[in-house]
Amino acid sequence: MPEIKVTPLGAGQDVGRSCILVSIGGKNIMLDCGMHMGYNDDRRFPDFSYITQNGRLTDFLDCVIISHFHLDHCGALPYMSEMVGYDGPIYMTHPTKAICPILLEDFRKITVDKKGETNFFTSQMIKDCMKKVIPLNLHQTVQVDDELEIKAYYAGHVLGAAMVHIKVGSESVVYTGDYNMTPDRHLGAAWIDKCRPDILISESTYATTIRDSKRCRERDFLKKVHESIERGGKVLIPVFALGRAQELCILLETFWERMNLKAPIYFSTGLTEKANHYYKLFITWTNQKIRKTFVQRNMFEFKHIKAFDRSYADNPGPMVVFATPGMLHAGQSLQIFKKWAGNDKNMVIMPGYCVQGTIGHKILNGQRKLEMEGRSTLDVKLQVEYMSFSAHADAKGIMQLIRMAEPRNMLLVHGEAAKMEFLKGKIEQEFSIDCYMPANGETVALTTNPSVPVDISLNLLKREMTLGGPLPDPKKPRTMHGTLIMKENSLKLVSSEQALKELGLNEHQLRFTCRVQLQDPHSDSDTLHRIYTHLKSVLKDYTIQHLPDGTVMVESIVIKVSSSAEDANAKVLLLSWSYQDEDLGSYLSSLLKKGLPT
Amino acid sequence: MMGETEAVEIDDILDDWFIESLKSYKDLHVYQLEHPTQIIEWTSGKTVCVAGYSSGKNEILELRLPLRLLADEKKGLCAERDFKVVHGGFSEGPVCCLRHIPGTRCAVTNDGLTSDLQLWDLGADDTDVIRKTGSLPGTSVSQAGSRITARLSSPPQVLHGAQSSGVQLTQLSTGQTLYRLEVDSTKPLSSLKFVSETAFLASCCDGTVYLADTRTSAPPQASPPPGECALWWTDASAASQCRVIMLSSSGQAVVSDLRNLGGALCQAQLDVQTSPRKPEDVTVAWAPALDGCFSVSGLSGLVQIYDTARWRAELQDASPLFQHAGHSVSSQHGDGSAPIFITTHVWHPERPRTLLSAASDGSVHVWDWVDPQTN
Repeated sequence: MPEIKVTPLGAGQDVGRSCILVSIGGKNIMLDCGMHMGYNDDRRFPDFSYITQNGRLTDFLDCVIISHFHLDHCGALPYMSEMVGYDGPIYMTHPTKAICPILLEDFRKITVDKKGETNFFTSQMIKDCMKKVIPLNLHQTVQVDDELEIKAYYAGHVLGAAMVHIKVGSESVVYTGDYNMTPDRHLGAAWIDKCRPDILISESTYATTIRDSKRCRERDFLKKVHESIERGGKVLIPVFALGRAQELCILLETFWERMNLKAPIYFSTGLTEKANHYYKLFITWTNQKIRKTFVQRNMFEFKHIKAFDRSYADNPGPMVVFATPGMLHAGQSLQIFKKWAGNDKNMVIMPGYCVQGTIGHKILNGQRKLEMEGRSTLDVKLQVEYMSFSAHADAKGIMQLIRMAEPRNMLLVHGEAAKMEFLKGKIEQEFSIDCYMPANGETVALTTNPSVPVDISLNLLKREMTLGGPLPDPKKPRTMHGTLIMKENSLKLVSSEQALKELGLNEHQLRFTCRVQLQDPHSDSDTLHRIYTHLKSVLKDYTIQHLPDGTVMVESIVIKVSSSAEDANAKVLLLSWSYQDEDLGSYLSSLLKKGLPT
Repeated sequence: MMGETEAVEIDDILDDWFIESLKSYKDLHVYQLEHPTQIIEWTSGKTVCVAGYSSGKNEILELRLPLRLLADEKKGLCAERDFKVVHGGFSEGPVCCLRHIPGTRCAVTNDGLTSDLQLWDLGADDTDVIRKTGSLPGTSVSQAGSRITARLSSPPQVLHGAQSSGVQLTQLSTGQTLYRLEVDSTKPLSSLKFVSETAFLASCCDGTVYLADTRTSAPPQASPPPGECALWWTDASAASQCRVIMLSSSGQAVVSDLRNLGGALCQAQLDVQTSPRKPEDVTVAWAPALDGCFSVSGLSGLVQIYDTARWRAELQDASPLFQHAGHSVSSQHGDGSAPIFITTHVWHPERPRTLLSAASDGSVHVWDWVDPQTN
C-alpha cells in the first residue's frame, strides 16, 4: 500500500526547533531546518543521522523547503548545506531569501564573536548556502522534478512566511510552518484552498493555546510607553527593521496624535536604510488594503517621528527611540541602552526573542548587573518589558485551517501524545479524520488511498452489464476482467480483443488435453451418459451438455470416451479445455479419476 | 489571494473605550473561545473551567491563566499572555452549572434541563482528558436545572437541588444522601451557598431565603422576599461579618446580615437597563478581597461593581464604582444580529480587583481594574 512517512527530527520533547522529514511517492523532502536556541552544543542542530549515518545529504533529499526566516526554522540551514553537505535545491519565498542571510549573519556574529564558539558556520558558508536557494512565488506550482511539485501559500505570521503544498502524483502533504488566522496589522491571515491533502502538518502548541487579542497587546505597549513618558522617562525599543517596527511606529504616531502628546519619537538612521529596502519587498507581499495603509503612512512622512541623531540620547526629558539591532547586541541600540540603563524612570521594551549571548537575552532573564567591555559593570535600573507581538494561530485557528484545506489526516508535531488525547479526539470527532502526534525522532507512516483514475471502454462496460447481477455500487466492488493499457499519463481498461487489436497482436488460444483411464465395462455411449449424469449431479451450477456428436461439454471443456486398446473393460476419457477453464478442467480430471458411482 | 478578512485599521482600535482603558485597567486580556460559555469555575488559583451550553455535544475545558497576569514582580519579563488549554472533555448535553469539589480533581455539572448531576475527573498531569466518571440522580422532576455547591470536606460531598424541596447533600463516592432540606415549598432555586462548614443558604428565585444546617434535620430559618419583585438573586460573602446581598430583576439591591436576614442593613437602586427573564441571566457576587464591594452582570450588558460602604437604609440610587464595557465594545457583530450579553463572571479568589467575564459571543475577558477613587 502506498505510504507517506513523516518524521520530526529532534530529540525527546524539545520544541525549540522545526525540521521535519517527509517521504512521499518515493521523494524525500526536508521541511524547515531550524536551530534550537536553548542549547549551546550540537544538540541545537537537528539530528541528520536519521537520513544517513555519514556523508552528504544530497543523494538522500530531493529538496529542502524553508517556511520563514525565524531562526528556529532556518538557523541550521548553512550548517546542513555546507558542513554536513547538501547541494540540491532549497526553496523559500522571495522575502525569506532576502532576509534569511541577514539574520543568519547576525546570529553567526553573536555566537562566534560574542560567545567564542568554534563549531559553527562561517559567513562564506551562509553565502554558499544561499546560492542554492530557488525563490518561490505564492500560488505558483513549481516542478522540483518530473514527479514532485510544490506550491507556496500565504501564511501571515511574518513577512514572507509561507505554508507549502507538496504533491507527488495524487498524494499530497501540506506543511503550515508558523501561521495565523486572524489578520495582523500589516499582514493578512493565512489562506489555502480546499486542496484536500492526504496530511496537514502543523504545530501542536497552537492547538492548546487560546490567544490574547492583538488589541490588548497593543494596549499594554501604549500603556507602558505612556506611563514612562508621563514620569519623564525615556523609552528604548530595539527593533529589527521589518514589519513589526513599522507597525509600532504607526501605532505610536496615531496615539500621539489622539492624545496630543509632545514628547519626541525617533528612529535611528540604521533603521531608515534597512526600512527602505524591506519596505519595497514588503509592499509586493501584501494585499491592496494593507498596501494602501502603508503607502499613505510612508515611513518618512510621520508627523511625530523623526530621524535620530546620537547626540539626542543625552537630551533631557522624555522621548521614545526605535533603534537597531533588535537584541541589543551591538550598535546604536546598545549605545543608547548603556546611557539610559542607570535611570529607573526609563524603560526598554523588547518586542521579540533574543538569542543567548546578547544583552537582550540577559536582561530578559532578569539580570540586573551586566559585565561590559573593559570589565566595567552596568547597573540595570531601568524597567525591562518583554512583549510578544508575533502572530500565531490558536485552537480556534487550527480548526479554521482544517476546515479550509479539508485534509484526509492531521499530523501535529512537537507535542506529547499522552497529553494530547483530548485534542486528538476533538479533531477526530469534528472532522472524522485521524490525528497523529509523532514524538521527535519517531516516524508516522500513513497509508494513503490514492484514487487512480482509469477510463473504461464502453464495450467493456456494456459487456459487464449484460453479465447481469446488481448494478455497480461504490460500496460493493465487483471483480471484472479487462486489459489495462498505460499510455503516457492515461490509464485505460479495455476488452482483451480491443487490446490485441490496438497492440496489433494475434490472439492465441491455449488448450490442455488430459487422458483419464477408467475401469468401466459399459459401452462407450453408456459410459458417456453415466459421466453426464454424474457431472450433472455434482456440478449443479454449471452448464453441462450431452451433445449429439458423442461428447459431454462442461462450459468449454470437452469430454470424449473411447475404449482402451489394451484393456476391454477400460475406458479412456479425453478431456480438453482452454486456458480460461484451467481450474475447472483440473477439477474435472481429478473428479473423474476417482471413478463413476455405480 | 491572502487574508481576505479585513485588517482592522489602527484608527479603529484607538476608540474612546480603548484610550480610557489605559488608565482604568492595570491588566486587560481578551480571548475568543470557539463556543460561548455560561460558566467560569475556579479549579485552582491558576486554572478555570469553561464549558459550552448548546443543545448537542459540548466541550468542557480547563484553562490555565496567562503567566503574565500571575507574575506580579516579574511581570515585565513575562511575555506570555495566552490561555493554555490544560484539560478538555466532551459532554453529551449543555453544561449550565459546573462546580469544582474543593480538595479533589472532581467537578460536578448539571445540564439545566433536569436535576441530575454528572461527575467528572478533571485529569492529572499525565493526561489532558476530562473524563465522565458517573452521575447522581436529582430528586425533583423539574424543568429547571440544579444549583450546585460544595465546600472542603472529607470524604467529598456536594449540595445540590433545583427546587427548595429537593435540596440534598450527597456523598460523591457512594451517592448516599447525607442530608435533605426539609421544606414543603417547591420553589425554584436561584443559588445554593455554604456560609460555614455546615450552614448554607438556599435562595429561591422568588426572593425567599432559607438558612439551614446540614447537621440538623430541624426546619430551616425562612426569610421572606425583601420586596415586590418576582425574580431575585442572592450571594453571601465569605467575610467574617457575613453579609448577604439580594438583588431583584428591577435592580433593587438589599444588604443584610446573615444573623438577621429579614432586616435590611442598607439598600440601593442600581443602574439597570435590561429586564432579565431567566434566573441564569444574572450573576451577583461579593468581592472576596474587597470589603463591601460586589459585582453584577446581566442587568445592563456590562459587568458593574458597586461599593456598599456608603449605602443607607433608605432606598437611594447607586452608581457603580466601576463598569466593564469590554464585551459590548469589542464584539464584532454587524447591525443585524442580537446584542451580546454577559453570561457569567467571577472574581479571582485572592487578587482584589481581578475578574473574569464571559459573553454570549464566546468572548472571555480577564481584567484587573483600577479603583477610580484612588486616582
